[in-house]
Amino acid sequence: MVELDWTATTPLSRIHVAGRHGAAQGAAGVTLAELSDFELVQVMARRGQWGAVAQACAEAYGKAAPARPQAVTAQGALLVWSGPDQFLILSPRGAAVEKARTSFSGMASLSEQSDGRSLIRISGFQARDLLAKVCSLDLHPAVFPVDAAAATSIDHTAVNLWRGEDSSGEAVFFLLVFATFAESLWRTMLDSGAEYGIAIDASGAWQP
Amino acid sequence: MRIACPFCGPRENGEFSYLGDAKPKRPGPDAGEEAVYDYVYLRDNVAGEMEEFWYHGGGCRSWLKVRRNTVTHEIFSVEAAAGAGAAKAAS
Ligand SMILES: [Zn+2]
Repeated sequence: MVELDWTATTPLSRIHVAGRHGAAQGAAGVTLAELSDFELVQVMARRGQWGAVAQACAEAYGKAAPARPQAVTAQGALLVWSGPDQFLILSPRGAAVEKARTSFSGMASLSEQSDGRSLIRISGFQARDLLAKVCSLDLHPAVFPVDAAAATSIDHTAVNLWRGEDSSGEAVFFLLVFATFAESLWRTMLDSGAEYGIAIDASGAWQP
Repeated sequence: MRIACPFCGPRENGEFSYLGDAKPKRPGPDAGEEAVYDYVYLRDNVAGEMEEFWYHGGGCRSWLKVRRNTVTHEIFSVEAAAGAGAAKAAS
């Protein structure tokens, strides 16, 4: 009889190698990291229920659900717009799915995506240069400020992209991608950013 | 060609899939075979302005109704398709 040994890994664990990649001289222009240990719930308001959902969200998370392309920092969670009448709740591992289930009971359809997506953080002073090669959106701060979000495609792969708080005065971007596409997207970004020098951080837990 | 999604803003056409003419309406149950055949198979090949359905599958996954000139690719209007599930386009 075959012994099955199930080991939980992150979508990028097979190819995620911390350290320096690409151009080795000077400061790395881009820093990449895979973030893990999150819970992710897709919330889709039922027809005519968006107002109720936004209100329930305000009661449960301290902030109304985003009605436009934004990432809203709420109590213990990040609320990321993903389309009309729908958004994602990103929380650290815990009881987030159960909380969403009770908060939106009867007014929204929920779909748990915790292990279905990979979360990638892109930072560094040349992060936007790397993204400009693979993403068709204008990410200039004038039109894509902190907390801006977008549902778009990168390298023919649907992604949720948003801008977090700046770090050391530089923009920080987050990418949520289907787990099985994460490896391909990761390689594309390594190739695109090679000329800038990439520092890959050890993967860590996502924090709101 | 860029399509200004009412929810996402202007996006390259690679993010969208094309369904086709937005005009045909499903015939009633008593309309007869001819009308059903027409609805399912027959399409005008318009050189000029027409209304089309486009799907923003590489973005917010909304169905959109786009009025477009098929010769020049000029786009006159984009709105959420009726019954697509969306409440209202963001203003
Ligand atoms: Zn859209």
